[in-house]
Amino acid sequence: MYYPEPISKLVDSFTKLPGIGPKTAVRLAFFVLNMKEDDVLDFAKNLVNAKRELTHCSVCGHITDTDPCRICDDTERDSSLICVVQDPKDVIAMEKMKDFQGKYHVLHGAISPMDGIGPEDINVASLIERLKDEEVEELILATNPNVEGEATAMYISRLVKPSGIRISRIAHGLPVGGDLEYADEVTLSKALEGRRDL
Amino acid sequence: MYIEEITLTHYRNYDQLSVSFDKKINVIIGENAQGKTNLMEAIYVLAFTKSHRTPRDKELIQWDAEYGKIEGRVFKRNQSFPLEVIFSNKGKKAKFNHIEQKRLSEYIGAMNVVMFAPEDLNLVKGSPSERRKFFDMEIGQTQPIYIYHLGQYQRILKERNALLKELQRQPQADPTMLRVYTDQLIDHASIILERRFLFLQKLRNWAQPIHEGISRGYEQLNIDYDASVDVSEDMDSEKIKIVLEEYFNKIESKEIERGTTLVGPHRDDLIFYVNDKNVQTFGSQGQQRTTALSLKLAEIELIYEEVGEYPILLLDDVLSELDDYRQSHLLNTIQGKVQTFVTTTSVDGIAHDTISQAEIFTIHNGYLVEER
Repeated sequence: MYYPEPISKLVDSFTKLPGIGPKTAVRLAFFVLNMKEDDVLDFAKNLVNAKRELTHCSVCGHITDTDPCRICDDTERDSSLICVVQDPKDVIAMEKMKDFQGKYHVLHGAISPMDGIGPEDINVASLIERLKDEEVEELILATNPNVEGEATAMYISRLVKPSGIRISRIAHGLPVGGDLEYADEVTLSKALEGRRDL
Repeated sequence: MYIEEITLTHYRNYDQLSVSFDKKINVIIGENAQGKTNLMEAIYVLAFTKSHRTPRDKELIQWDAEYGKIEGRVFKRNQSFPLEVIFSNKGKKAKFNHIEQKRLSEYIGAMNVVMFAPEDLNLVKGSPSERRKFFDMEIGQTQPIYIYHLGQYQRILKERNALLKELQRQPQADPTMLRVYTDQLIDHASIILERRFLFLQKLRNWAQPIHEGISRGYEQLNIDYDASVDVSEDMDSEKIKIVLEEYFNKIESKEIERGTTLVGPHRDDLIFYVNDKNVQTFGSQGQQRTTALSLKLAEIELIYEEVGEYPILLLDDVLSELDDYRQSHLLNTIQGKVQTFVTTTSVDGIAHDTISQAEIFTIHNGYLVEER
């Protein structure tokens, strides 16, 4: 299919986004042509600003427009407690809970030699530095409960153990509000493993 | 349990086929390449949602057709229920009692099937991976959690091997990550081994008397687990863990040098002995066949023990390969209690009461005719 060059360039840009295939990209590109010029300009500006003005916090690695980020800067928060997550989106999920008063550390990935990601490719070194400088009492490892996340958590715990800092791993098991009968066998057996005294 | 009827639509060489079966013995007669094995395969697929012959589901759809479908009605625990498996370009769907089961582990087990086909000789003759597959399939049929541990083990193994390759190139690198994977691998390996040992003990208990019967008391069958590490069957997962930890510790530098994981359940094997001689290397063709048969018949009893009902037995082109004594022993064992499907090119060679009472079908180019 032949398109005028500006359109094909736009289509090409859209296909760089996740979840957008060639057909959707064409649809979006033609939609942009019919948008008001002001909206398009805003759109373009927002894209550029998001990229230019947001950086990774030099302390925790979370995305931020100020450095250090608002969470790291917040003196109300408990800096003796650090929750380690894989992704900035995980911080946002935790923040929605509004219950966690500690600080975060974002790894930006999980270790997977198969995908060529080693410990040096994720944000671990700065975590270790942080633990030396700050008065940290507990590290909560909240990486995903899959092979990569589990391996990453175990790696960090091995590195940190000698320092005597308390290390914990988030629990996995039954979802709240769910029914026992709908849980699969693996989740059930994990939940049973992680049971606690009442 | 037994299968009452089956309907095939656009399945392999069957455009459309609907057939009801006898509760006991069904004999399917046909020339080569008429669709005997395809029918057996369809029953197998209805139970496991995948073929024993090919990993590619697309091959099951009739040439040029959009989709292929197998429907069946199974009688189990005093009630009958429909099963359905549909293959299309979009993938496969499995329905139990009209309701689609998103997780295959929820579907598999609704109907239990044991198949004995010429390929099963590979169980004795073939590579260790064939025997591991047999083990894993059988344990998985009754214990979904085993499949989970096996899956995790394989994922971790791949990561660990990738890391070992890296360390092979730069042996001075920090081994912490390797030890993390070693720990995780051991966690799953110890559970896998424990479950395999328990299964093996049951399998042995059933297979030994069966084998003795088939061989008129001349042959003693024994099965050994050939582990890549020094573990024994009486150990539980905690003990196995300790042994594995010590062993992996010892061979760490060797593993880095070789760039791969050297031991574990993925390297283990089963050894079959008849009268203390290894059947794989020293057994005759007939002894190998009898061993495979004993294992399959033991499987039937094992399923009975776990499920409380006998599974459906598929004998694809194997009856004619057994001598008269073995044939009648086999038919006597299953008589009356196991619904059995037998395919053969002719019943002439099979002289047994069971056959004379059986439902006989002839098959020609994808058409099935009931003879009696």
